[in-house]
Amino acid sequence: MVGLPYDCLANPLGAVRLTFEKAVASGSDPATFEGKDWGATDLFRQFIFDDGGLSQVPFLNPSTMTWVQPNTLVRFWGMIQDMLGNEFYVGAYKEGETWRTNKFADFSQFPMAVDSSPDMRVWERRLLYCVPVPGQNSWIEHSSESLFNPSSISSPLQREKRHREDDTAINDIDMQVTDEEVHACTSNKKMREGGIASNSSNTGDTLNEDIDSSTSVLPYFDRTSFPCLVKIYDSPESNLKLNDVFEFIGVFTFDPEFPVDKNDTNDLESSLCDDTLTQMPPSRVPRLHCLVHRKLATQDFISGSPTFELKSHLVKSIREALLGHLTSILGNDGVAANLITFSFYLQVHARVDSIAVGKLSLNLTCFNKETLSVFGHRLNLALKNLLPFTHCIPLSVDYLNKVSLVPKKDYQTNRLASGILQLAEGSHLTIDETQLQAGTLNSTGVENARVLRNLLELQKVEYDFTYYKMDMPADIQLLVLSEGKSNILPADLVLPLCPVSVDAAQDVETEVLRSWRWYLATMRSLSHTIEKEMQKVLEDDLVAARQADRSLSSLDFSRLLTMGRLVSLSFGETSLTLEHWKMANELERLRKERLQGSL
Amino acid sequence: MNDLDFNRDKDLAKDFLSNFADSNGDAKYMNILQDVANRKTKAIEIELEDLADYKDLDEEFIRRIAENTKRYITILASAIDELMPEPTEALPDDDHDILMTQRSEEATENTDGSDPKQKMPPEIKRFYEVYIKASSKGRPFTIREVKASYIGQLVRISGIVTRCSDVKPLMQVAVYTCEECGFEIYQEVTARVFMPLFECPSYRCKVNKAKGNLILQLRASKFLKFQEAKIQELAEHVPKGHIPRSMTVHFRGELTRKVSPGDVVELSGIFLPMPYTGFRAMRAGLIADTYLEAMSVSHFKKKYEDYELRGDEEEQIARLAEDGDIYNKLSRSLAPEIFGHEDIKKALLLLLVGAPHRKLKDGMKIRGDLHICLMGDPGVAKSQLLKHIINVAPRGVYTTGKGSSGVGLTAAVQKDPVTNEMVLEGGALVLADMGICAIDEFDKMDESDRTAIHEVMEQQTVSIAKAGITTSLNARTAVLAAANPAWGRYDMRRTPAENINLPPALLSRFDLLWLILDRADMDSDLEMARHVVYVHQNKESPALGFTPLEPSVLRAYISAARRLSPSIPKELEEYIAGAYSSIRQEEAKSNTPHSYTTVRTLLSILRISAALARLRFSEKVAQSDVDEALRLMQMSKFSLYSDDRQKAGLDAISDIYSILRDEAARMNRLELSYAQALNWISRKGYSEAQLKECLEEYAALNVWQIHPDSFNIRFIDA
Repeated sequence: MVGLPYDCLANPLGAVRLTFEKAVASGSDPATFEGKDWGATDLFRQFIFDDGGLSQVPFLNPSTMTWVQPNTLVRFWGMIQDMLGNEFYVGAYKEGETWRTNKFADFSQFPMAVDSSPDMRVWERRLLYCVPVPGQNSWIEHSSESLFNPSSISSPLQREKRHREDDTAINDIDMQVTDEEVHACTSNKKMREGGIASNSSNTGDTLNEDIDSSTSVLPYFDRTSFPCLVKIYDSPESNLKLNDVFEFIGVFTFDPEFPVDKNDTNDLESSLCDDTLTQMPPSRVPRLHCLVHRKLATQDFISGSPTFELKSHLVKSIREALLGHLTSILGNDGVAANLITFSFYLQVHARVDSIAVGKLSLNLTCFNKETLSVFGHRLNLALKNLLPFTHCIPLSVDYLNKVSLVPKKDYQTNRLASGILQLAEGSHLTIDETQLQAGTLNSTGVENARVLRNLLELQKVEYDFTYYKMDMPADIQLLVLSEGKSNILPADLVLPLCPVSVDAAQDVETEVLRSWRWYLATMRSLSHTIEKEMQKVLEDDLVAARQADRSLSSLDFSRLLTMGRLVSLSFGETSLTLEHWKMANELERLRKERLQGSL
Repeated sequence: MNDLDFNRDKDLAKDFLSNFADSNGDAKYMNILQDVANRKTKAIEIELEDLADYKDLDEEFIRRIAENTKRYITILASAIDELMPEPTEALPDDDHDILMTQRSEEATENTDGSDPKQKMPPEIKRFYEVYIKASSKGRPFTIREVKASYIGQLVRISGIVTRCSDVKPLMQVAVYTCEECGFEIYQEVTARVFMPLFECPSYRCKVNKAKGNLILQLRASKFLKFQEAKIQELAEHVPKGHIPRSMTVHFRGELTRKVSPGDVVELSGIFLPMPYTGFRAMRAGLIADTYLEAMSVSHFKKKYEDYELRGDEEEQIARLAEDGDIYNKLSRSLAPEIFGHEDIKKALLLLLVGAPHRKLKDGMKIRGDLHICLMGDPGVAKSQLLKHIINVAPRGVYTTGKGSSGVGLTAAVQKDPVTNEMVLEGGALVLADMGICAIDEFDKMDESDRTAIHEVMEQQTVSIAKAGITTSLNARTAVLAAANPAWGRYDMRRTPAENINLPPALLSRFDLLWLILDRADMDSDLEMARHVVYVHQNKESPALGFTPLEPSVLRAYISAARRLSPSIPKELEEYIAGAYSSIRQEEAKSNTPHSYTTVRTLLSILRISAALARLRFSEKVAQSDVDEALRLMQMSKFSLYSDDRQKAGLDAISDIYSILRDEAARMNRLELSYAQALNWISRKGYSEAQLKECLEEYAALNVWQIHPDSFNIRFIDA
């Protein structure tokens, strides 16, 4: 397609409208669409993926919020935190003899007599409440911003052009639009100035002041919690799951002037009122009418880094360097470094009869005040630099008693109140048990301890829906730091840390860090198999091990196999070889030895 | 559609209502109408199924009703108006009637009643409500499945009630009187909000340009009870990785106060859009909220006895029942992912089936529920077994001895935070009434609960005398307990009694007690290694070698079996008595009895046999049932004491020989059939392989002869 009569970027709704008109003109009856796509998404898919339009689409985040125009194409990276159900909207209606559509829009672009038209089709769309991925580390934002900041990527000229187009597009609409809409546009500009001011003061108080207590669950314009209400059309339900991380590309709408109507809710309605409009007024939560979405893997977050080729010697050298770095961080404890890297490639790759295959949690023991301050701190820093999403829970009696780890459904607001354990796939969670003192747990504390234990054992989090609990599968890399072996949190691997020396922390070059990140993300996504030839060897080895040590259970077997898998993954291999299996066993032997020694 | 159509449909409805006869030949709806006329009932529930069964009706009419329900309710109501019979009983006039007679008198007086606002709407005369109940055939929708295309239609959904508003009056017909002309003005209200009238629209006022003030007459207006509720999808209907959806439901009139939060309900109702009003409509633009106007409410029955079989299930059960191997098939389908443990699974199946409760003439009750205790090393899948059983049972509560809340296992008196009243709150055992209560970590139970559980397990009640409340709650539940040995792992050097850290009084209440030990042998190790490697390799469980039955089929079969109450025929009495006394004898002979065989044991045998008979869909207990019951009891004992037996020095082969010899001597015969022999030795806990070995060994010694085909045994007389 050459010479598009519309601009997908600045006036996506115009493009939608055009395709709709084209579809109607070509003889299809909108009454039979039932909300299904008529070719609009294909158009955008082509624009974004085939014509390289992706890089021109601005990111939606607190800083871009200030200049992105409503009703333009934006993209948003976020985790699905809550699913708000369906919304019914007038999808198509007849104005005189012509069909109009409202798909991908909040308001009708044409004035519309609400209840006069008999030819009104009600369609549905799904609402997803998305937040930035919890625990996202700062380096991700750097990479995304450096790439997509308009000042750095698009030349001033381009930017100006876009502005001009915006204006013309808006003018186009304005001619037919009600006064209200114009008002919204102008007020948007006003708001933008206000937004800059509030951002520079870095609190967003100016916007927050009228937030009443019921909506305080949605802190606003904070860097870490920048929610977005994504409206999904056309996509089968099974594609989008809770806690998935997605890139949504669609039409952005935002109405900063939307008044919060506190007085409007009369007695009758306030009793069970929970519609999204009052809870998440468009003036606080931006809307995104999703045209195209795709699931993000860890690699997508490191898009800024150079892509390396998957060569075995290269992988080996990166692996050595990374291991060396971690070893020095941990005071020359090679075994610990090895085991810690394991958790980086970890992925629960199957669930068989309630067992999560491929999970492996690590408990580093022998931490005391001094070692923690040195190694714990360094380790945390290293994790933050290497992994996209990290989290740290300082476990103490007080903390356990107070915090809400598990997401809980709040029936007053009909929302899922997020808990700390609502994490995206592949997040890394460090649980610091060293601060735990003797004390009494209340019922919340007991429940929280149980939840953590469940997470460690089954990689599952039970979401609380008051009337029943629902197991949500999790895929979280776990590391427990403790003084002695943790009994509250039974990890798969327990290893006493034996630092030999304390080296001065060395700085790592950004380029090297990038290669490490790339390495970890890539290795993690590799698929892995166990070949038929190895099967026999493994079975014999396992039986022999159990004959020697009766206390080995099927869980230990599973753990050994997982270790073998991780060792071979760390070399970039996709199938288990005898050499790597031996390495895993050797590591296990070293670990056992040290465990015996520390007793 | 024009009015003509509706008139025709009204005639159809009248025809149906006056002529429909139910299966007994009674005129169902005319009877209801008579009751309504006599003010005995207010709700008229018209079932779509009846419409479908009615001989003269066409499918089209039903479809029209289902797709445009709201409209057809008014049509049906006007049809009912015309059919309404005179009351057959004298009724005292209440306020409403007096008002009505006054109104009708006035109506005849005033001839300028051509004004539509002055005409009495039919709504105000009706003292009944019409509901249309959706057909209960087929599966109800989940909330997720109700799409935009269902708007305006009658749908049936299932869900759990999460919130309920108070019941409030909702104005249906507003009645005003005019200050000037004194006329009553009626205004029908169809939405939740309405614009009151201020100026008298009557002819007289209009002509006089009086603009008479209208005063709303609350007494004369008609109100409906109104309640709003939220329902949410059931956990089992939510796809993996999704959040349950919810929906608003409006209850009107007689349907209010039928649900409370936490109820699992099946609703039929009309799925309707709710236009935003006022300010919100302006802003919401094109979005419509939706709700379900409830037409019928039914609570989910979670008892076996109330389980309704679906058409295909009945067939399936009949087919299964014909299959001789049903006992094995069903038991294998319990927790198919757990390897082995055949006998335990059999016992658990019997726990699900249970025996009938008996009530003696003097009022004494004998429980029919089986209690089972699983004991064993950590990590032998006890908890998994428990959870699976709870999943299969229609009503089951899973709890841990320690983990239950302040209410605990039994019951507690608690102060209601709102009313400050003392309320009785049932614990897990009370909640599992008529079901199964699985208690994990049984050994770590609170002392207070442990004493209470004695009562629950035998008398099946929970008595409570706290804070001025003395009462006894029903807890007719089968207890399935899992316990760890006293020292965490089973200590082979100690006696079983030392390992089982539970008082004998409690233990004797269990019908069956299993010890699951993690024993070492090469084969099982290899099996395990294979399984783990397979799982890692293929990311799925290895094939089971058989197709397990679906839990729903299991549930259906068990509920069908539970309807029977088998009796013990006279000729078996002797046999059971003999078996019981022989166990007692054996115990008396042994110098270290492991168990105390009491009358409870006898009752257990009877219970297990009855459960087995139920599984065969038989009304009579057969001898084979009793034998299997004895075998299970023996197996359960041997799971505990088999090590002792080996210590005693008797090897299996010679033990089998002595059993057979004693048996032959007792019956004073020289011949034993193979089936008999197998029966006897299996009761003592030996396997068929061991029997064969024994037969061969002793045949070689010329102690007996074995028939080459039938394996019957003939002792060689010495």
